[in-house]
Amino acid sequence: MLAGALLLFPIVFPSAFYRDIGVTVLLVAISASAWNIVGGYAGQVSVGHSMFFGLGAYAPALFYTLWGWPLIAGIPVGIALAVGLAVAIGMPTFRLTGHYFSMATIAVAELIRIFTGTWNFVGAAIGLQGPATARGWWDLTFRGELPYYYIFLAVLGVVLFTTAAIEQRRFGFYLRAIKASERAARSLGVPVRATKMQALALSAAFTAVAGSLYVAKTGFIDPDSGFGILVSVQMVIVAALGGAGTLFGPLLGALILVPLQTTTNSLFGGGGSGLTYILYGGIIVLIARFEPGGLFELWHRVVPERWRGAHA
Amino acid sequence: MGGWAQSTMVIVQVIVGGLLLGAIYALFSSGLTLIWGMMNFINFAHGEFVMLGMYVALSVVVWLHGGPAIFSIAAGAALFVLGIAIYLSLIRDVLRGPMLAQILSTFGLALLLRYSAFWMFSANFVSLPDNALSGTVKLAGIFLPVAQLVAGSVAIVLTLGLHLFLTRSAAGSQLLAVAEDRVAAMLMGIRPDRMQALAWGLSAGAAGIAGALMATAYPWSPSVGETFGLIAFVVVALGGFGSVLGSLYAGLIIGLIQAVSAYWLGAIYKDIVVYGLFVALLWLRPQGLMGKA
Amino acid sequence: MPDTSLPEANLPQANKLLEASNVSKAFGNFLAVRGADLAVERGEIIGLIGPNGAGKSTFFNCLAGETTPTTGRIVFDGQDLTRASSEGHARAGIGRTFQVPITFDDMTVLHNVMVGAFLRHPHRNDARDHARRMIELTGLRPEQRARALGTPGRKRLEIARVLATDPRLLLLDESLAGLTPSELHEAIALVRRIHQMGVTIVIVEHIMEVIMTLTERVLVFNQGHVIASGTPQAVIKDEAVIEAYLGRAHRRPPLAPRPHTGEA
Repeated sequence: MLAGALLLFPIVFPSAFYRDIGVTVLLVAISASAWNIVGGYAGQVSVGHSMFFGLGAYAPALFYTLWGWPLIAGIPVGIALAVGLAVAIGMPTFRLTGHYFSMATIAVAELIRIFTGTWNFVGAAIGLQGPATARGWWDLTFRGELPYYYIFLAVLGVVLFTTAAIEQRRFGFYLRAIKASERAARSLGVPVRATKMQALALSAAFTAVAGSLYVAKTGFIDPDSGFGILVSVQMVIVAALGGAGTLFGPLLGALILVPLQTTTNSLFGGGGSGLTYILYGGIIVLIARFEPGGLFELWHRVVPERWRGAHA
Repeated sequence: MGGWAQSTMVIVQVIVGGLLLGAIYALFSSGLTLIWGMMNFINFAHGEFVMLGMYVALSVVVWLHGGPAIFSIAAGAALFVLGIAIYLSLIRDVLRGPMLAQILSTFGLALLLRYSAFWMFSANFVSLPDNALSGTVKLAGIFLPVAQLVAGSVAIVLTLGLHLFLTRSAAGSQLLAVAEDRVAAMLMGIRPDRMQALAWGLSAGAAGIAGALMATAYPWSPSVGETFGLIAFVVVALGGFGSVLGSLYAGLIIGLIQAVSAYWLGAIYKDIVVYGLFVALLWLRPQGLMGKA
Repeated sequence: MPDTSLPEANLPQANKLLEASNVSKAFGNFLAVRGADLAVERGEIIGLIGPNGAGKSTFFNCLAGETTPTTGRIVFDGQDLTRASSEGHARAGIGRTFQVPITFDDMTVLHNVMVGAFLRHPHRNDARDHARRMIELTGLRPEQRARALGTPGRKRLEIARVLATDPRLLLLDESLAGLTPSELHEAIALVRRIHQMGVTIVIVEHIMEVIMTLTERVLVFNQGHVIASGTPQAVIKDEAVIEAYLGRAHRRPPLAPRPHTGEA
């Protein structure tokens, strides 16, 4: 039913404004769902996930700028870089407590952001641009929102399908065990470090794809829009609001927050972005304090079992 | 001969300047390490405490025309209260919850404080108007801003003071007892909740005073909180999580490294070196110079 | 049972399932365990007792793989596990429970046990069936949420979950503490059933009834090593054991007569 609504949305709302919101919702949902794999299910809270997003965005743009590659060809490179980075970070930090990992993600993301801003090869502070007009479908550069909408929807479908598959299999059970108690998980033979690493690598790969989609849509990337902390924050808050560790939590969060952000931006004008982030900060604190499981958890607590129908 | 002596002087100036700033880093980082050592908790909003201390100092100067001593104490006191309030209303509850809640709590708080400051004070860089600490002094052949000299020295004294408080005083040893073994401390009649609240007050207060001290010598904006937070991570990682004395050494070292990097490589690169050092530390020696992992 | 083989495992299968020799563990300057030895034969059910602070928890953690011994060897069924992690111990066939049960609270009983079952049954349906069998054995309800269980329920859940890993050796860490008398009898019966299934068991316990009724052999720990070993009846009369529990408070001058301590 939800799928039907999502599929039909741009047809029912043909205005560019609504379609743009729809596209943004999908993009945010993709990155938040990607974060969700390692942050929500495995409980390894990355607050620097923009590092993967940025790599996924810069790679296609870079290869286009340097050698005229089609945008789509740069995507696998972005994924490979992101996975490599994930392994590099996971190896030292996953043998320590969870806080080290979180700190490392912030530090590495900042490090990359500043470094990119000084490196002329990748455009320094100015950034890079994608093709202005498409040379073919492989440039993923379209007039109008419609193609983007359905491509993004398809990618979201892939991410959610993968997550659902994981949920059903041993890997998913192990992730949740790790989140609950690494010590107990180990005593049951769960290969904790390897599992965390795989989750991070998978999450990084999907996040990189989100970054690639972003640069395809906006045609532009710079250190802040790629590696900035606000990119990381958005992923986390969207997933946490809807319900970290649930399949549709991130999508729900995106459906709520993106229109909300658009509204506050237009309401508060110039000071808009500042107020938006005050709001974000406040929401995150409230979630942490009162309902870490997000809206899905709230729903489960408030609505008695028998009204909700069968579930696993 | 004159040229050589001059460049040596410049280097010495850079080194001393770095150490003085590093002393302030040590002061606020000691607060972060105290919390980590006590509760295995990382405060992602710690940099914002420093930033708020700076604005408290500014407000005291602008509205009350207070001097450095007054606004430093005010900043320390205000943040002390804020620290306890945050512990009681937020931290105490999330400590019992999942890791996600713990990390999100102070991370969200950081955003809240940072962007509230942007909203209230604008993103422009500000500095304190002229006061008792303005001007430069010539010391052993190099020129130093008085403010930097005083701020750095006071910071070292306060950090040592915190260390002594923890290790020598009755209240301090109660704090350490809770850090060491909560249950045993409870059996001895110590109230862990009170001690933890006190620790948060001290931690925030140290950050607040550090901010006020920093404000006397350097310009700032609401964005500095993010940078200081990360610097605090690096200092604590280098000095050892839980060790105030370690923070002192590490703070000085980081300040030094930062100043020398800025001098050799250029100002843009100084942060890269410091963050790179952090990542290297996580890779190679997470327990730092003298602490528990 | 799957064959966890390394070259050493091809040696003629000794009767000793688990052999810990000269195990020591130092924390900084403090020696928690000093030269402890333990040999467990297949099918035995052994008790490990001793006063608090005697080092038995640390020793236990060495056996479980949570702590690496400073010196000594731990050999399980011919395989050297001295340096292995707790994951490695679990995969080799050693299971353990925790003093304070650690259950996966956000998951149902069934899913909890499935995490254990997945060790030997990688496919979900097999894991689920195996888990259901373990759950039935321990008398739990599969669909209940783990956090809704009380402490006795959680202890049973832990046991079901670790049983699902098909351990050959089960280390129980004071798993029977804090139960009402009827719960205790049920728990003892459960442990007996598990033993009859062929699982070798080592129990750390303070409750005398458990030790006396369940175990065939008891080792007494004090100050980091084994001070006595034998049947439960023999061990509780051992003077060294009594002294360990009651302390040296009654050290007498050499000429004074030694009164008989009539306590068990």
